Amino acid sequence: MTINAMGGGAKYKGTQMRKKQLSEIIKKKVIEAKQVCEGDETSDECKVAWDEVEEVSQAKADLRLRLEVEKKDPLESFCLENPETEECKVNDD
Amino acid sequence: MSVCSAYTTQSLNSTCSISTPAKTHLGFHQKQVVFYRRSSKRGGSGSGSGPCVITCSAGDSQTVVIGLAADSGCGKSTFMRRLTSVFGGAAEPPKGGNPDSNTLISDMTTVICLDDYHSLDRTGRKEKGVTALDPRANDFDLMYEQVKAIKSGVAVDKPIYNHVTGLLDPPELIKPPKILVIEGLHPMFDERVRDLLDFSIYLDISNEVKFAWKIQRDMAERGHSLESIRASIEARKPDFDAYIDPQKKYADAVIEVLPTQLVPDDNEGKVLRVRLIMKEGVKHFSPVYLFDEGSTISWIPCGRKLTCSYPGIKFHYGPDTYFGNEVSILEMDGQFDRLDELIYVESHLSNISTKFYGEVTQQMLKHADFPGSNNGTGLFQTIVGLKIRDLYEQITSGKTAAPLEATKA
Repeated sequence: MTINAMGGGAKYKGTQMRKKQLSEIIKKKVIEAKQVCEGDETSDECKVAWDEVEEVSQAKADLRLRLEVEKKDPLESFCLENPETEECKVNDD
Repeated sequence: MSVCSAYTTQSLNSTCSISTPAKTHLGFHQKQVVFYRRSSKRGGSGSGSGPCVITCSAGDSQTVVIGLAADSGCGKSTFMRRLTSVFGGAAEPPKGGNPDSNTLISDMTTVICLDDYHSLDRTGRKEKGVTALDPRANDFDLMYEQVKAIKSGVAVDKPIYNHVTGLLDPPELIKPPKILVIEGLHPMFDERVRDLLDFSIYLDISNEVKFAWKIQRDMAERGHSLESIRASIEARKPDFDAYIDPQKKYADAVIEVLPTQLVPDDNEGKVLRVRLIMKEGVKHFSPVYLFDEGSTISWIPCGRKLTCSYPGIKFHYGPDTYFGNEVSILEMDGQFDRLDELIYVESHLSNISTKFYGEVTQQMLKHADFPGSNNGTGLFQTIVGLKIRDLYEQITSGKTAAPLEATKA
């Protein structure tokens, strides 16, 4: 099953922001990891750098899975209780 | 007597509620004690002078604890969704709490992500030079204390590890559920935690399949490339092999996912060979079998009665040993393309603990859009879910632990 990152509507602004945030972090961490590992691929720093990439990649994938397969915005129940927050503004996209 | 009080061996916190008899109390495993209160001389809390009923689930509680070792994130994995679905009801994050909580709660089950027991957050791990896989990044004492508490009916304030920020957030309250699932990298690492588990599962993904899945997962992200995906897997491998992989010998069931043997050079990981390795002699767990328990069977269901499309389906079943333990292995290679293939296969499996004919098929169809719905991963995850339900029912009804013997021909 191929997961398309472009689709999957985020209902709330907070989720949309998180999606973007995670994508940015992933990009940043991949670049960091490549830099750190240039010296020594077996160093602890290199291991940790790629582990961070894995962590945020998985977080992004989890979010994508929830939005596209379950079709549920993770902020749904939070926003029911706190509709006035910035995060809970409904997306126009 | 002018006071309502209840004495329990456990804390009174959130498993006990005090209410007037007008409320109905549903559910099992609850002791009800009725105290009669005369009008209080201190003016009391103002509620009526009727009797108060105190219900406590401590001391009698039988939270069943399941451990699931997986390297695929937590609480949100497909396996967990299938498992909670078997028990009915959708699993949701705790309502109104931290939106980045990893916890999932349904009617019967609560799924806890073991990353919540990280002793080091992302910055801390970077400073110390340890990955999340390293035991030094995890607080096993706290994990043990809290799982033990929940198991004995006491609610706990469990930390939250936020995967987006990489920080440890303020704790959330976890009330003892009927079934607690602890999912993550180290459910069986610590011996004390291991001893609390009523059943444990290890999801063992082979390197080739892991690579193929991570490509599918990450290639859509602009930051990633084939090289970065491969580098990430390679860099984590030493810690994975040292700390995570050794847990599989403790698991009651291992789901091993390998590349198919039916299609030469299938690199995309689309067709899978999946092996369900089941330990013999586990309390309340009778391994699934094909046709004749304890024998060795090779079975290709496709033929005259069932037409399958390429590459077809191949089953294998037989006894074996796994890290010194007696096991039974049920293996499926290939894919289901149609509903009737699935129901045909289901009808030939034994000890699958279904409550009605076609229950496995029905569960698979319910989640047809989940990954693995057309192969052994979905099939075996669903079956393990049913076995866990069976185990739960046996434990809570106090049945004998001895598995039923099939009548020998």
